[in-house]
Amino acid sequence: MSEITLVVNGEQRALSVAAETTLLELLRAQCNLTGAKLGCDVGDCGACTVIVDGEAVNACLMLAVQADGRNVVTIEGLAGRARLHPLQEAFEACGSLQCGFCGPGMILSAKALLDAAPDPSAAEIRDALAGNLCRCTGYTKLIEAVQAAGETIRAAATGPRRAAGQE
Amino acid sequence: MRAFEVFRAQNRSQALALLGEHAPHAAVLAGGTDLLVEVKHGMRAPRVLVDITPVGELGVIELTAQGLSIGALATHSAIMRSALVREHCPALVEAAHTIGAVQTRNLGTLGGNLVTAVPSLDSGPAPLALDAFASIAAPDGMREVAIADFFLAPRRTVLRTGELLCALVIPSASLGKPTAFLKFGLRKGQALALVNVAASLRIAHGVMCEARIGLGAVAPTLIRALDAERILDAQPPSEALFAEAGRIAADEARPITDFRASAAYRRELIRVLTQRALALALARAGGKR
Repeated sequence: MSEITLVVNGEQRALSVAAETTLLELLRAQCNLTGAKLGCDVGDCGACTVIVDGEAVNACLMLAVQADGRNVVTIEGLAGRARLHPLQEAFEACGSLQCGFCGPGMILSAKALLDAAPDPSAAEIRDALAGNLCRCTGYTKLIEAVQAAGETIRAAATGPRRAAGQE
Repeated sequence: MRAFEVFRAQNRSQALALLGEHAPHAAVLAGGTDLLVEVKHGMRAPRVLVDITPVGELGVIELTAQGLSIGALATHSAIMRSALVREHCPALVEAAHTIGAVQTRNLGTLGGNLVTAVPSLDSGPAPLALDAFASIAAPDGMREVAIADFFLAPRRTVLRTGELLCALVIPSASLGKPTAFLKFGLRKGQALALVNVAASLRIAHGVMCEARIGLGAVAPTLIRALDAERILDAQPPSEALFAEAGRIAADEARPITDFRASAAYRRELIRVLTQRALALALARAGGKR
């Protein structure tokens, strides 16, 4: 067993892990964060996607010991107390989830994209979501939701500044 | 997953020491996007994984006296973001972008892709077309192997037990050489190549020289289409000549039939993609099509 410390959704954690434990198993079994899903377990489906140090990765293909000292964001870390993350709101408003199994991974891939490029083209969104398979909703509404969330985030970023300038 | 031990190397000498100590039961862990899948599927059962991801020097992309050195640990995403790669070897950026999906590219590394030595690996054709070489750390020092000699057979490279691939070097003479990479898969995202090709050439005094054609997924290892390259030498570029080079390259290759495509279909792809890659390289050389 190895002792590791990492930040999960802003909270510092010290954990003891076996060598063969994946980050996904660590999150689900030891941190009780079951938003990241076990789908294919070999990096094809993207259901386990989490954000590590700002980049979307498949948690099933990273060993827990490799997450030592790193910053991990899961779907549970997105919503604030008062409201959902704009991506979560947009996925709901656009009807982008049916069964929802791909949702957490899909939203985190979209978040990594919007954090890096707040105004992505449809092609960029498709590229960013290519590693997340959806088998029931289809992709059109997912892309619409990411575009809508991007608009919300951009408006929030410029809105208050403009308001402050007017005062 | 089957049990194993993990040792996290903090520097290169520690990585080599660990590999030596635990040979032949050790495997190098980098991005894990291939190794962990193989362990989960039971294709490999290493008792020890030597995790080299903490070894920062192995991920450095820099210009050296030899050329552009891309650390084996550089992820495909890092290659896509690198201003140096973009400026000096943009075909490597194009190739990196076709690998897996974002999540794979964020974890997966150039070195990891090369050492898989699968015939379809997308990181291979462009370095072949740019006369690149691999920089390898052995217990008794460094050695260099031309990428054209790096792959021995499917899933087998020249790396000996206890050795570590440290960097891929694009030699100075190849920096800025007009090059094009094309890949044909069954989908745009997360698809293995049915055929991938990189072509490079230079134009001097109106004729072509140093033409290179690297092909993947068309033989047991990546290959250069040497006969096709030869007919281009010292000739003025033309569509007809590129078409002929495509036909020769298709003849030189030894594609197989599998569940993704038939050998005949792959040969047709080789013909068309080689021709297109040459035309694209020519356009990048500033010549007309």
